[in-house]
Amino acid sequence: MPSVVFHRNGQTFHGEVKENTNLVVRAGIRKFPYPNFLYGCGMGKCGKCASLIIKGGEHLPEPNWKEKQRLGSRIDEGYRLACQLWLTHDIELSQEATPLPAAAGPSDVA
Amino acid sequence: MPELMSHVEFRTALENAIKGKSANKAPFSIAWASGKLSRAHLACWAENHYHYVGPFADYLGYIYARMPHRYLEAKDFLLANMYEEEIGGDRHTDLLIRFAKACGTTAERVKDPDNMTATTRGLQSWCYAVAMREDPIVAVAGLVVGLESQVPSIYRKQTPTLREKYKFTDEEVEFFDLHIVSDEIHGERGYQIVLEHANTVELQQRCLKICEIGAQMRLLYTTALYHDFVEKEIPLSELDHVEKRVPNDERALLQA
Repeated sequence: MPSVVFHRNGQTFHGEVKENTNLVVRAGIRKFPYPNFLYGCGMGKCGKCASLIIKGGEHLPEPNWKEKQRLGSRIDEGYRLACQLWLTHDIELSQEATPLPAAAGPSDVA
Repeated sequence: MPELMSHVEFRTALENAIKGKSANKAPFSIAWASGKLSRAHLACWAENHYHYVGPFADYLGYIYARMPHRYLEAKDFLLANMYEEEIGGDRHTDLLIRFAKACGTTAERVKDPDNMTATTRGLQSWCYAVAMREDPIVAVAGLVVGLESQVPSIYRKQTPTLREKYKFTDEEVEFFDLHIVSDEIHGERGYQIVLEHANTVELQQRCLKICEIGAQMRLLYTTALYHDFVEKEIPLSELDHVEKRVPNDERALLQA
């Protein structure tokens, strides 16, 4: 059972989730990290679920095309889109108080 | 005489009602997952699937209007589900059309109702009838728990194949990716609503029955796609080698 430590608005929330859990799905069904987790479309477009990965990023798959398009250079700073991640290991992450503004990803630059 | 079930017992019963006739056991689904379909077959699927899932917000709209105001959370869920289908991000049917185009058909052909089979029209009509006529909690059980909640397990099996065996790009198969997240939320919220509000023996039994029928309808639809578009080129005997585990009772339906 992956352990999740989640920071937002100066508060820290702890929870355990089943393996292969998506935090946006969890919040969508009104379970931890609901109601504190920001999310939107669930399809990698709006970027509301953008999260800074503090620990455990080495266990995540490489960012997919939606994350690259939406987050751009923020990926190098450690941001990921939670809606695109299925957790298999412990993780610590944080979200801004308000949704991250859109990055100048490849599609925006073109 | 059935008795009122606890939430845990009722959830298990709902899952069992769906499981036995799951659409990912249909020959079309087996052929899809094993990489045997052509892009032309997949185009036919898209031209039919549009008419089944395209009106999903319409189905939910009918249930929304008839859902009692005292079930405010259930109404809000239906509204959110409709919003997410249509305008929460990309319109889901637009992504289906993107996939259809990659299969070689056109948006005009996909939207044209003359291109759906009689069985697809039957499934669409059943969805409308359930949404308009059933008790709203039973309708949520039929359409959201019985149909929508099945989608993640089906697409989880089919999506990697689309990339690896059929060589579609990530953008072309986005329709399938997004449903693994959104339908998982919708299906689970549907379960929560049905578990909470089907609070009599009669309602629980009606929910179980409609889940069973919904799963049968979807299996019927998918099986018809196989017979209408695929069977001549890929006989059932060829699929038997791929999927030996299709239960006997379903095998009879597959060969009907």
